[in-house]
Amino acid sequence: MSRVLQIAASPWTRLVLVTILVLSLQTTLFAELRPFGTSIQIVGIFVGAIGVMHGLQSGALAGLACGLMYDFVLATPLGLGALVLGVVGVTAAALLLPFRESTWWMRAGAVALAAGIGEVVWPLMSAVVGLDGWLTPRLFVSAASSLVGGLVLAWPLLPVAAWTLREAQGSN
Amino acid sequence: MAEFRINRTRAIVLLALASVFLITLDISGGGTSIVRSTFGTFFRPVEGVTRVVTRPIVNAWRSFREFDDVVSENQLLQERIAQQEGAAVAAAASVRLSQELLALNGLPTLAGINSVTAQVIGDSPSNISQTIEINQGSDAGLKVGMPVLNAAGLVGKVTEVSANRALVMLLTDPDYALSVKVIAEPSRRATTVTSLPTENRVTPDEDLTAPSATTTTTSTTTTIPSIPGFTPASTTVPVLPSPNAQITVPNASQLAVRETGVLQGRGPGKRPYVRFLEALPSGENIQVGAPIVSSGGSRSLAPPDIVIGVVSRVVERSGTAGPVLEVELVADLSNLSFLRVLLYQPITETQR
Repeated sequence: MSRVLQIAASPWTRLVLVTILVLSLQTTLFAELRPFGTSIQIVGIFVGAIGVMHGLQSGALAGLACGLMYDFVLATPLGLGALVLGVVGVTAAALLLPFRESTWWMRAGAVALAAGIGEVVWPLMSAVVGLDGWLTPRLFVSAASSLVGGLVLAWPLLPVAAWTLREAQGSN
Repeated sequence: MAEFRINRTRAIVLLALASVFLITLDISGGGTSIVRSTFGTFFRPVEGVTRVVTRPIVNAWRSFREFDDVVSENQLLQERIAQQEGAAVAAAASVRLSQELLALNGLPTLAGINSVTAQVIGDSPSNISQTIEINQGSDAGLKVGMPVLNAAGLVGKVTEVSANRALVMLLTDPDYALSVKVIAEPSRRATTVTSLPTENRVTPDEDLTAPSATTTTTSTTTTIPSIPGFTPASTTVPVLPSPNAQITVPNASQLAVRETGVLQGRGPGKRPYVRFLEALPSGENIQVGAPIVSSGGSRSLAPPDIVIGVVSRVVERSGTAGPVLEVELVADLSNLSFLRVLLYQPITETQR
């Protein structure tokens, strides 16, 4: 019983629950608000925020887990989103590695940049697995849209990401 | 701490490998749909609540962005309604006549296929798929592969089904391909003959029913024999032309030519293409504006004669390769609300 409670209280369980909420925002609010015809990828921004707040490994792991959950609601091949968001989590964390201490605007910038890169990586990975037709100039519009969206949404999501895996960071 | 790090590294490797394995499994047609539907069972209620909570924001955004468009579209639509009211009556009569003729010859028609009406409840959350979500699922009889239409024409096909939700892949998705017919307009040369004397004239009644039915001065009610899967209503054959009228008979070689090709989506913002496997026979000229309908057939994704669009551009290719046609869809995919799912599952999708 205590083992079950321990699992339920683990930060990774919290990550799954928070991801479901973020995912529901992605499939409702951000699927409808489409600046320039593109959907802002709040899931990618959230993964980037985790990477920035908790480092490379947590970013990669959270990206893979969130991406897998995202794949469950998309019509794209299962596992594709997991790999892409894994890259986003690692990228966001790696962008801050050269800096000893990061400021708030550097963290927001890293999240936004990683989310934008994710929008380019996604069609690239799709092409690798044989899904043609997405490598078009339009992907730069999607990337720019997610980049700008990331700059705005990083504000509320950075504290959420920090809270989501807080205990894991403590036990590290 | 070291042990935790090793475990985490292992977890990353394991998840990455699992992702690659799942991609391979999914692309090769493995049974991943059960995983999606199980996740959907837990996720849909949360999504439903979020949709209700965020609806005011979405509505505010739409009223901010789309108000001017809605006003101008409303004016345009009123104008079009006025133009089309008359044409619609004639078109409805033609469609009914066509369905009766098809039924008389034992050919499949859309009228014989049951359908389910569904409402669009969500757009694609991703930028690399052209899908929409509808509020009907397997509980209503929906299955993967079923064609989806709106009032104008074909919209796409069902790709994922849960109990009361389904994902519809739009025609513009690069993964969408469908066998279609292009109805090429023949040159309008026709033979004109003076109508036969009254006693020798063949009436529509003689064509459609028993030879004894030869009323020529008043409208005649014709009842079509019962055919499985299709039950047409009684129809009224219009009054015949006057005895001195001229009948225009097109030559058989000048009837509409149907060329079969493959329609393929090209992503958002781009019109789909129709490709032919080889060059069209000489003398057949596909013009801009030629209608495109589904071709049907035992292995087709949709029943025959669903309206898809019209040719908006003909791109000639060199060598023996046939032309490529750019298609202007009749259905406005950017503004979908209520859809009709035909309960017709293609043979190629029955195992999914």
